[in-house]
Amino acid sequence: MASRRRMLLKVIILGDSGVGKTSLMNQYVNRKFSNQYKATIGADFLTKEVQFEDRLFTLQIWDTAGQERFQSLGVAFYRGADCCVLVYDVNVMKSFDNLNNWREEFLIQASPSDPENFPFVVLGNKIDVDGGNSRVVSEKKAKAWCASKGNIPYFETSAKEGFNVEAAFQCIAKNALKNEPEEEIYLPDTIDVAGGGRQQRSSGCEC
Amino acid sequence: MVERAEDEEKWLAAGIAGLQQNAFYMHRALDSNNLRDALKYSAQMLSELRTSRLSPHKYYELYMRAFDELRKLEMFFKEEARRGCSIIDLYELVQHAGNILPRLYLLCTVGSVYIKSKEAPAKDVLKDLVEMCRGIQHPVRGLFLRSYLSQVSRDKLPDIGSEYEGDADTVVDAVEFLLQNFTEMNKLWVRMQHQGPAREKEKREKERSELRDLVGKNLHVLGQLEGVDLDMYKETVLPRVLEQVVNCKDEIAQFYLMDCIIQVFPDEYHLQTLETLLGACPQLQPSVDIKTVLSQLMERLSNYAASSAEVLPEFLQVEAFSKLSNAIWKVIEAQVDMPIFGAVTLYSSLLTFTLHVHPDRLDYVDQVLGACVTKLSSAGKLEDSKSTKQIVALLSAPLEKYNDIVTVLKLSNYPRVMEYLDNRTNKVMAIVIIQSIMKNKTCIATAEKVEALFELIKGLIKDLDGDLHDELDDEDFKEEQNSVARLIQMLYSDDPDEMLQIICAVRKHFLTGGPQRLPYTIPPLVFSSLKLIRKLQGQDENVVGEEASASPKKIFQLLNQTIEALSVVPASELALRLYLQCAEAANDCDLEPVAYEFFTQAYILYEEEIADSKAQVTALHLIVGTLQRMHVFGVENRDTLTHKATGYSAKLLKKPDQCRAVYACSHLFWVDDQDSIRDGERVLLCLKRALRIANAAQQMANVTRGSSGSATLFVEILNKYLYFFEKGNPQITIAAIQSLIELITTEIQSDTMSQDPAADAFFASTLRYIQFQKQKGGALAEKYESIKV
Repeated sequence: MASRRRMLLKVIILGDSGVGKTSLMNQYVNRKFSNQYKATIGADFLTKEVQFEDRLFTLQIWDTAGQERFQSLGVAFYRGADCCVLVYDVNVMKSFDNLNNWREEFLIQASPSDPENFPFVVLGNKIDVDGGNSRVVSEKKAKAWCASKGNIPYFETSAKEGFNVEAAFQCIAKNALKNEPEEEIYLPDTIDVAGGGRQQRSSGCEC
Repeated sequence: MVERAEDEEKWLAAGIAGLQQNAFYMHRALDSNNLRDALKYSAQMLSELRTSRLSPHKYYELYMRAFDELRKLEMFFKEEARRGCSIIDLYELVQHAGNILPRLYLLCTVGSVYIKSKEAPAKDVLKDLVEMCRGIQHPVRGLFLRSYLSQVSRDKLPDIGSEYEGDADTVVDAVEFLLQNFTEMNKLWVRMQHQGPAREKEKREKERSELRDLVGKNLHVLGQLEGVDLDMYKETVLPRVLEQVVNCKDEIAQFYLMDCIIQVFPDEYHLQTLETLLGACPQLQPSVDIKTVLSQLMERLSNYAASSAEVLPEFLQVEAFSKLSNAIWKVIEAQVDMPIFGAVTLYSSLLTFTLHVHPDRLDYVDQVLGACVTKLSSAGKLEDSKSTKQIVALLSAPLEKYNDIVTVLKLSNYPRVMEYLDNRTNKVMAIVIIQSIMKNKTCIATAEKVEALFELIKGLIKDLDGDLHDELDDEDFKEEQNSVARLIQMLYSDDPDEMLQIICAVRKHFLTGGPQRLPYTIPPLVFSSLKLIRKLQGQDENVVGEEASASPKKIFQLLNQTIEALSVVPASELALRLYLQCAEAANDCDLEPVAYEFFTQAYILYEEEIADSKAQVTALHLIVGTLQRMHVFGVENRDTLTHKATGYSAKLLKKPDQCRAVYACSHLFWVDDQDSIRDGERVLLCLKRALRIANAAQQMANVTRGSSGSATLFVEILNKYLYFFEKGNPQITIAAIQSLIELITTEIQSDTMSQDPAADAFFASTLRYIQFQKQKGGALAEKYESIKV
């Protein structure tokens, strides 16, 4: 039933190593921040209940490894995502340049039915660093890129100071909700009255 | 392989179909709040995960689908609990599922809701679940099940500040749970290596590699726990994790998990536990790629040091440098078979670390380079490109850090490392050094430093043993030598004596360069010397009794010999230019004999070496131009040189060249700012002679081409007449100018065959000039008055 599924919104956070994906998630879900850099291994998610238009949703936020060598199993978890968050560090040009790769890679791997309109949100993180003096990607440049990719919403954030994080995730949730569910409708060929299911094909031990 | 991949797709598709079918019935049961059916169909759905036919990648796809479905079930359980259904009963109820794998997935799912309900202490539920999961000993299934457990419990661990923390539950329990799950998962993962036939080793290792993040993720979760402070990390987490890593004796696991430890825990923890972490390295299997592990550790710590100056005291406090260099020494000592590349990589990382953490400790930097030399000395010259690249990186690091070659020159082991590079790379490195000097405008101010620098860049300065010239492209060679030439201006001291020492040092090295290099290197050296002369020339130079000190005379002697070296090339035209430059400088120093000597050298070259007509023309004009500016010569010397120059002019091959050289010589007899040189008669003689040659040229053209040729030469001569006329040479009369103008006019009018618009235009503008002078007024206008045009 669609309504049950629609209570759960799946969000994937992507971006280069060290841009602050885990920190953004921790700040949003737990209101905590640590200055220490710790790499993420594989994919990890936290959930958060959000109220939206008088309905309660569970936001399932997937934090991912920015370093390729910690993504050994691939990206099967992209499947069924309702929104993809692209994060870069405003102080590192390369992380901004790579947004395009992350976006394309996501569209290829997740293969949403309507890639043109799949909701993305871009976050320019770490605007607090050095009072903004070490910044190399201007807001204008980032917004221009977002506009060129079909008006992706853009937020400047500081996971450290919690700046704009709540607003960004509000927008993320809103866009995830707008995304049409694309769960393939499954219709069984026959109604299995016996309910025994099919033969087990498993070999090996009985576990 | 292809067949296998196709089969796998089929199996995956079948698995997904089975999963979807049961999920469909599960959804129906959930919608009608039928708990019994929901459990039944979810268990059947989860049975699809019992397959052994899928590779980890494919299995993960299937797992993710089941995972998503289980979220719906979990929500249903939550609602059930809210509706008053006892979660403990539910926990019991799911255990009736027939197969153990579905049962445990369901148990973990309910367990997650159970913890959330807080009806039992989190630690009890976690402990129960992690124990129960032992029931699955099949590696792939077990790893995914435990990873499921780890994921659903992720936000329910009794961490500090978590809502699940309580009197009964502390972060110790969370850590215990994660360590236990980690240990069990690692055992499953390692056991895979020893299952199945030996011939499938490669496939198995690939599969293991795919699965590694499931194991590593436990460490990630540990790293994320707020309650794991330094003490707990030091006392519990690190020792327990390392114990597992060391004892599993599995190469793949050890390499990967060491990397994980380094990446998921914060830098300050690593610093405070360096000894423990490094102590584990020698205990790993000999086949483990320790150099990469250590390099990654040092890279992290380097970045940490670079992030803020405030953290540097931490490094000093724990003596990070000595611990790391010790560890590296031990590793290299222990692994005799480690390729040079590995050792160099390690030293390179250590060097980067040292430069970040101890930029002021040049002795540390030199020590690292020294250790590298020791290792290299056992291997001889490097041949493989990987090691060579790494050495270049190693040697470039101090240059980039200090931006100052002078600092680097203090490193006694730096040139010793360079010794081990092959010639080509040695040159690459030399270029890097020169570029660094140029970019940073580093002035090398003593002869001693210059010597040290030349030791580093000697690959560019002379042929090294075994150098093959044809190996090098001409363009590259040119570029190389040009960069050496550019370098010379950076070797500079304000103290003339020191500067002379520098020049002598450079000269000594350059003279070993051989005929191919000299044309590039000698000119900058000559100009550098001339610069010093110009500097001295202003000063009161005759300080009595200081024989050793720099004097222009001494430098001129040196220059003479330096330029002479070009004779082996030979590069006569270049040498001639340089001699003339020196002559001019000697002129400015009032050193007549020296200037004369340089002219003599230039003339000898002209007479003996320069045979090409075009080159002769160029050389001759240079000679005339220089000679014209000389004021140091007495009458006798000047006459000799002038006489020679006019003689050369008349002997040029082509008539037009002769003509132009001869009228140029007219300037040798009339120098504006020297009253003694105003010989109007001889000026006129030159010009008349030039006219005769121009006539002869015209006639020759008539004979050979049937046309009278261009009037250009006549117009040029007319301009010379006008020049001397204005300067007040009494020999240049209005009548002579007048007749020349008429001559040209006739020429141009008669010459219909070979139109020369340039000559016409030249003549027209000369006439305009005369008009202009007439109209301008003043003394000149009066002179011009009677010329008719």
